[in-house]
Amino acid sequence: MTVRTADGDLIFLEGKCASEEAEVLLQRLLAAPEAVVDLRRCESLHAAVIQVLLTAKPTLQLPPTDTAIGKWLLSVLLPLVTN
Amino acid sequence: MNDLLVQFVIESRELLAQAGDGLLQLERSPQDAECLDRVFRAFHTLKGGAGIVEFAAMERAVHAAEELLSEARTGRRKITTALIEGCLASLDQVGAWLDILANSDELPTGAGDQAEALIARLVSIDGREGKPAPGAGTTQPWLTAFRSRHANAEAITAIRYAPASDCFYLGEDPVARIGTLPLLSAQELLPANPWPSLSELDPYECNLVVMALSAAPVDSVRAHMRGHSGECEIVDLAPASGFAAPDRGISQRGRELLEAQVAILTEQDAEQFQGRVSSAGLVAANVLTALRRDDEARAVREATAAALAQKSAEILRRNLERLLAPDAPMQAGAGAQHGGDSASTTLRVDAERVDALVRLTGELTIAKNALLHTTARAQLAGLELPSELIALTGGFERLIGELQQSVLALRVLPLRTVLQRFPRVLRDLSSTLGKPVTLDIEGDHTEADKAIVEMLFEPLLHTLRNAIDHGVEEANLRLKRGKPVVASIQIRAARQDDRVVIEVEDDGAGVDIDRVRRVALDRSVATADELQAMDDAQVVDLIFAPGFSTAATVTGLSGRGVGLDAVRTAIERVGGSVSIASRAGKGTCVKFSLPFSVMMTQVITVEAGGQTFAIPVDALVEIIRVPSAAIADVGSAQALIHRERTIPLIDLAGELRGTRGTSANSEETTVALATVGGEDIALRVDRVGERMQIILKPLEGLLQGMRGITGTTLLGDGRVLLVLDLKELLS
Repeated sequence: MTVRTADGDLIFLEGKCASEEAEVLLQRLLAAPEAVVDLRRCESLHAAVIQVLLTAKPTLQLPPTDTAIGKWLLSVLLPLVTN
Repeated sequence: MNDLLVQFVIESRELLAQAGDGLLQLERSPQDAECLDRVFRAFHTLKGGAGIVEFAAMERAVHAAEELLSEARTGRRKITTALIEGCLASLDQVGAWLDILANSDELPTGAGDQAEALIARLVSIDGREGKPAPGAGTTQPWLTAFRSRHANAEAITAIRYAPASDCFYLGEDPVARIGTLPLLSAQELLPANPWPSLSELDPYECNLVVMALSAAPVDSVRAHMRGHSGECEIVDLAPASGFAAPDRGISQRGRELLEAQVAILTEQDAEQFQGRVSSAGLVAANVLTALRRDDEARAVREATAAALAQKSAEILRRNLERLLAPDAPMQAGAGAQHGGDSASTTLRVDAERVDALVRLTGELTIAKNALLHTTARAQLAGLELPSELIALTGGFERLIGELQQSVLALRVLPLRTVLQRFPRVLRDLSSTLGKPVTLDIEGDHTEADKAIVEMLFEPLLHTLRNAIDHGVEEANLRLKRGKPVVASIQIRAARQDDRVVIEVEDDGAGVDIDRVRRVALDRSVATADELQAMDDAQVVDLIFAPGFSTAATVTGLSGRGVGLDAVRTAIERVGGSVSIASRAGKGTCVKFSLPFSVMMTQVITVEAGGQTFAIPVDALVEIIRVPSAAIADVGSAQALIHRERTIPLIDLAGELRGTRGTSANSEETTVALATVGGEDIALRVDRVGERMQIILKPLEGLLQGMRGITGTTLLGDGRVLLVLDLKELLS
């Protein structure tokens, strides 16, 4: 399980998030449109998951940009970070 | 340590530097076959040396890296960041072993295990190359906009990938595919069609378009994208791609162009010499640049300049012919090859022997000055000197001048010797601090005295650290400010008359002036009144003041317990200066100005109280005669009112000899105006002597404690000339 919800309004994406997680994430976000998505322990995101994030445009918690994963997440989720 | 090992360590270190340098260059331009060859040969020679001294662990470790490079040479392997890093790691390991070997005279224990670990890492690097997939792309409107948003990204290939909408069902992850592109330098994700509302989104229908830039050649990008779904455009961004094939030699078309230039240069038409040479040189340099043979292009540009200066096309023609020769030798950096002859032999000489030669030449110069002085005095006294003697003395003077020049040139090194270490340092700093930075170095062929070049490493390193640590903003902040995420630092070096000027410029946030004011006050670097009177430039300059450090917490990098004041002290010790210019939000530029040579100093002699002193010309502003009325007593000191400014006046005789100068009571006073560290100083002198070039000797023994004197030199008549330390006089 790499999609985890806490306190209703916080969604954690942890570890390697494969394509199956996209549907789970979509449902969580539909249930809690204001949720913050925490990617600080994320190791990779499948394109399908990225699509859900880019569509839902939630507030993100990103890992520091001095890590490889942080840089990568920043570059693929840039539209959400700069808005 | 026996001679063989000594030689091995020296040579291996040189090879390490060459290989490291080449690897970094290769990372920037992976298609540079010549550079790859150079790196490969360096590894190969390293391995050979290790075999000779029977250092088996090193031989094995270097061999593993050499294998990777060999595969890359034959096109069986891509040059990836992992490959570069693996090879750099093996160089680091070898460097560490060499240090142990040099310090302990013994082959390092545990080297075997370290070698195995390294080999395991090297063989695990993938990037084996298959056959490139077919596929072509043409320049599209999307490219222009995309490229301009990432103008700073290193790129020779651009990709726009629109995967098929059902690609997820085919097991394709387009984002991961692009993310693992070799030498990816920028990427953007866009919706193929506008995003629907969340409730209407089908997460398994791919609606993404990925655009990316890569510094890898188009062929390796194609290979990477092989088997993609949907549409994929791959565009070669390499300039003049007509003949930019990664070809080891010069392509046919390039060859024809170069041959045509040689023909032009062979013409004997004195009238259009200038035009012919400059245009032939320009065309040849452009051809080489298009072929990515930047070093050779630079050499051609230098040869062109030399040919124009010497009014002979010969040097340029020879240079081009050499490039066209069947076995054109590879240039290991153009710095070593200033329009000279093809084979240059080097002789390794102990630096101490060169220094001894420099000292002797200095003594000889003094002897020459004495001879000239004696003959001049004899002539003044009306003695009839044989004309041969006078002619001989003239010749003697000229020869010694030339000797001095040549001897000083022995100690001259290109700045490259120190600057070439920085790309690697910066790469490490940049990854430690998580701030991506590119470094551009310009003018590394600029030369300076060995002592200057060698002392530069620490100050420049400190400046670079500061630039990255304090200057360059975090990636998020840079994005917000509309700057490219990858920061840029430039080191520019150039010769300006007898100075060498080095600038280190970053595109970071600039110096926070308000913070500097606060910190300076907090740490008692300056008082509130002083700060009030300072303009921004003066405030920025405070970061060089002792006791100042802008880091809120001392970081491992910039901190190290010393501030920038250590940089300024080190630079000033060799007669240099350092200044800083900052533009808020735009960046900071630190400028070093150093003497070309530490030995020769231009001075003007002055007399005061019967003693001759010398004032360094670079500090001297003017020599004026002022009416005594212009000198006012200010407390116990005196000041000169000159052009509506008040300048502290120092009576040289009184200050240094405890007597009052004779001119103190006369109508007019001779004053030498000088500037030191931005402050003016006026020196009352009795008489102004002559201008001369001297070899400055630092004060030794009993003289060491003398206030206001920086060094001495012997005059032609055997008297000692004291060279003033204006800074000390002022304090």
